[in-house]
Amino acid sequence: MATGAWPGSAGGIALRVLVLGLIVAVALWAVAPLVAAENWIGVGIVVVVTAAGLLVYLTPRRLPAKYLLPTTLLVLAFQVFPVVHTMSLALTNIGDGHLGSKQDAITAIETSSVKRRPGSAEFRLTVAEKDGDLVFLLAEGGRAYTGTAEGLRPLEGATLGAGGRITAADGYTVLTAGQASARGSEITELVVPVEGGAIRSQGLSRAYRGTATLAYDAVCDCVTGQDRIWRADEEQGRFVSDDGQALAQGWQVDVGLANLTTALTNPKINAHFLGVFGWNLVYATSVVVLTAALGVAVALVLHHPRMRAVRAYRTLIVLPYAMPAFAMLLVWRDMFNTDFGLINKMLGLDVDWLGAPLTARLSVLLVQLWLGFPYMFLIATGALQTIPSEYLEAAQVDGATAWQRFVKVTLPLLMLALAPLLVSSFAFNFNNFNGIFLVTAGGPFPADNPTMGATDLLITYTFRLAFGQQGAQYGLASAMSVYVYLIVAVLSIISFRRTRAFQEVDR
Amino acid sequence: MPRPMKTLAGALALGLVLTACGGNTQAQGQPSSAPAAAGDTTLLIWADQMRSDTLKPFAEAFAKENGIKAEVVVVAQNQQQTFTTASQAGKGPDVVVGAHDWIGNLVQNGLIDPIQMTEDQLAGYVDVARKAVTYDGQVYGVPYAVENLALFRNTELAPEAPGSFDELVETGKRLKAAGKVKEIVGYPVSQQDGQSGDTYHLYPLYTSAGAHLFGTTAGGDPDPSELGVGEKESVAAFERIARLGEKGDGALKRSFTSDNSAAAFNEGRTAFMVAGPWRLADARKAGVKYDITPVPGFKGAEPARPFVGVQSFFVASKGKNKALAQEFVTGTLASAEVARALFDAEPRMPALNEALTYAAGKDPDVAKFQAAAENGTPLPAIPQMVAIWGPFNTLIHAAVKGEPVPPAVEAAAKAIAEQLEQ
Amino acid sequence: MRSGLVLRHLVAITVTAFALFPILFVISSALNPLGTLSSATLFPSGAGLANVTDLFETTAFPTWYLNSVLIAGLTAVLSVTVSAVSAYAFSRFRFAGRRTGLVALLVIQAFPQFLAIVPLYVIFSVISDNWPVFGLNSIWGVVLLYIGGQVGVNTWLIKGFFDTIPRELDEAMLIDGCTPTQAFRKVILPLSAPILSISALLVFIGTINEFLIASVFLTGDDARTLAVGLFSLLADQRNANFGMFAVGTLLTAIPTVVVFQFLQRYIVHGLTAGAVKG
Repeated sequence: MATGAWPGSAGGIALRVLVLGLIVAVALWAVAPLVAAENWIGVGIVVVVTAAGLLVYLTPRRLPAKYLLPTTLLVLAFQVFPVVHTMSLALTNIGDGHLGSKQDAITAIETSSVKRRPGSAEFRLTVAEKDGDLVFLLAEGGRAYTGTAEGLRPLEGATLGAGGRITAADGYTVLTAGQASARGSEITELVVPVEGGAIRSQGLSRAYRGTATLAYDAVCDCVTGQDRIWRADEEQGRFVSDDGQALAQGWQVDVGLANLTTALTNPKINAHFLGVFGWNLVYATSVVVLTAALGVAVALVLHHPRMRAVRAYRTLIVLPYAMPAFAMLLVWRDMFNTDFGLINKMLGLDVDWLGAPLTARLSVLLVQLWLGFPYMFLIATGALQTIPSEYLEAAQVDGATAWQRFVKVTLPLLMLALAPLLVSSFAFNFNNFNGIFLVTAGGPFPADNPTMGATDLLITYTFRLAFGQQGAQYGLASAMSVYVYLIVAVLSIISFRRTRAFQEVDR
Repeated sequence: MPRPMKTLAGALALGLVLTACGGNTQAQGQPSSAPAAAGDTTLLIWADQMRSDTLKPFAEAFAKENGIKAEVVVVAQNQQQTFTTASQAGKGPDVVVGAHDWIGNLVQNGLIDPIQMTEDQLAGYVDVARKAVTYDGQVYGVPYAVENLALFRNTELAPEAPGSFDELVETGKRLKAAGKVKEIVGYPVSQQDGQSGDTYHLYPLYTSAGAHLFGTTAGGDPDPSELGVGEKESVAAFERIARLGEKGDGALKRSFTSDNSAAAFNEGRTAFMVAGPWRLADARKAGVKYDITPVPGFKGAEPARPFVGVQSFFVASKGKNKALAQEFVTGTLASAEVARALFDAEPRMPALNEALTYAAGKDPDVAKFQAAAENGTPLPAIPQMVAIWGPFNTLIHAAVKGEPVPPAVEAAAKAIAEQLEQ
Repeated sequence: MRSGLVLRHLVAITVTAFALFPILFVISSALNPLGTLSSATLFPSGAGLANVTDLFETTAFPTWYLNSVLIAGLTAVLSVTVSAVSAYAFSRFRFAGRRTGLVALLVIQAFPQFLAIVPLYVIFSVISDNWPVFGLNSIWGVVLLYIGGQVGVNTWLIKGFFDTIPRELDEAMLIDGCTPTQAFRKVILPLSAPILSISALLVFIGTINEFLIASVFLTGDDARTLAVGLFSLLADQRNANFGMFAVGTLLTAIPTVVVFQFLQRYIVHGLTAGAVKG
């Protein structure tokens, strides 16, 4: 570490100047739109990141940081932030009907309550402007009116064009569609009060008579109309009437730890936890062990100086991994079909592969073995290249058998490279949503319990619960995935510790 | 040395969270309220591949006429979910093309606006389409196509249309015994995506046996407070379905999906198939001589009621050009010209009467599907429908597999009721 | 020894057969003019190229292809570069928080990714507003996202390999007056060709087949990738066109095979070449 002094060479200095210029240029480019948008937090982040970059790359010390900064920034932005954000969602009731703010909900309630007056005539609408204020020029049955927030007034001196729309009027500037659209929100908000309702725009060329049947009243913090009063319930994030009816459109509120406790205490959720968890462990472990065993075995088989056609074998064996996984999952699913599937047809069987718990479990394992072993094969192939042949030769000279050489020399060295990837593969397969969902969808389900299937993983099981309700409950899903994540993380760290003996073996 | 690094990282993460949360809540209205120059206005339309190709010229013509720009973007899959996520983040489209059964969910989330059409305009649509896009007394979409199941029959194998489903099974069995076909009927019992039952396809038989999913409110919407699953009619219906199943006639089998029943029908391995208009192209390509009749009900029972799905155009509540979007949807997209163009691109029954006449003149199968839709009910658009799918799919599998029906129905009813409670 | 080789070939052939038979099935579907997966034959019954012509005529397949190769290639190169650099720090430096950092890298990515779509969308909508180059429907934004997602595993993978390179080699360089960066560039990197190639390949494959993120963040006509484009052929569950889909799936594997062929020599010869220099 101490050797990292300033390299005095001209090249080194030039490089530093270049880096400095690059960082500053990127920072300036990045900060400009943030300043324009007055997003000061964003500006702050850019300044901090730039400062960090300059600090790290322009000083002679702080060596590891030089190498770690890009990774750190990427991981923070695209991995840590999503996790933290998801965890924060677990503390809210976000989900269908509770996606936005209260103001969003009120707008939606009022907008969707506007009823056209039955049998009322339609106006032809022209959007115009007078002294910067928006005016509706309305035509109906050959008569012309102006409509403003003050009301409807007859209009003199209007020119009616084809289709009965007003094309020009004295004192008013008719807006083009583009101009009108730029003021779109003003147009949709402009309500022309008339007797027994109001005139509103429907697009840019039509207007209709209608009444908003629901209205928000800020004084009582309630929605009134349709002979009812819906009061805001800030705990549920929705408007509820006295008889317990709620309006469909709600908003997002903080619910504290409610989702986290629900996930633990609700019998519907935790009743089958142990069963699912057990199979989940078996599944993830089996997939890792099977794929690694087959992958390493094949890599070893091909790793021989006199072995021929190795390139061809390698290319063909990697193919399952080269095909789009989701496509192949669908293909496998069809191959397991009892009457039409390739497997039964080829083997002359009549097995209901995906219909019985045991065969369904074997099937998803087989599919994942097929999909996953080339990955392990590739890594093992790479790792095998690193094992100096001198080690093996030395062992051979010492009289070790082929098996002993494998167990004592090859395997430990392979594990050095493989162990962390086995852990990461375990974590991936523990939550392998597609691997289950696209093949069995969690099934087969026992007839007396449609919520828990034989191949369900925790992730498919909890998601069915969170999204199978009356729409998606992201808050609950987040809470449950936080738990699933904690389980995976703990298991990963445990297995990581157990394999550490291998990793640090020669350090 | 790493200390400052760590603090820095923490601060950074925190800052990101703050900006992001700001972006999510307060900043929502900001981008849209910023006045855009007229020339910059872009009407953004989201559609699937097929619709996108058809709509592009219309969108461009509309844009040119109004001096704006229009962009039709293909959203390949998870359209509803992507629309929700994008709208919520302020990046959604102005107009979205989708199925009418999204309406309940999108209204609940405040993502689509009602469309005010006059009685005259509404009268131009076929009844079932008008009914489908009306939710809670309000019209939320402009319908353009109607889809429903019907019975495809290979006229060389079975010249006569069966009068009832029982008769169909008889004919199928006879043909199978004679070695002319391999399967009694191509009935998609299982979903394409995974090993679970297919509520959509089984619904006609379920209703024919006298059962229902939900009650009906005074306004004509499905009423989730009255659940039909678990009532004695539903048990009877599934008993009847079970008799057709793997331990009964062997007509219904879990191995059948929409895809392989079509393959079986097109290759002449079965004389009957229950499918929608989306299978027409394949059947024609395969050169099968076919006829289309309504899905027959059980003998002496109610008519079979297929679900009717209505494809529609929606105006996004959080779009940046709502007024333009309303104009485009109610003006251009609601026109017969667009309906005809959409039909020409894909032979689905148009929802607009005027285009329907045109389509029926061009393609006799359209009228047959229209006849099959006569007894249909719109696919429930209420958000509570989500609670039905899972348990009902499992129930279908249990019944077809030959498991005892009453406990399976009871379990499904309990699961649905529990989910509805929440 | 000879019988040993025969045995090796037998094993290799069996595994190859296992690897290939579902793919044969896809080929058979691709040639099936009816466009169905349920033809249930391993060997093609018909030999129609209709699905191929359909794919090229009715979809923007070449654009998807180009996008995918571009995204996967960029991600592979950049991700391996960034990972190799950080792997070097983790392998050769000892600093406080090193172990924590390593474990964190491994554990953080165990989070179920598809839940992260909502927060990622939040990030991207902020980015889109300020720097559209990296925003929604931009290849660059997705590349950054993929790098961020892959960097953890790759750091681990590469670090594991670096650990097996004798430290004496780069220490000798340091003693000769080189900076650590020079030691890294001149000793470690050339010696690591096999693992760098393999990680690049893994990233390439992972990226070209990635579907979830691409389907949400690349919706524009011109921005779609192969995985998203192909899935759109199946998107209408009731009218899936498996024939075209099968053709596309097979064609998707080609860039991967090409990249693999190109990298194979580094995978095998990397160490020997380095050993001569060392």
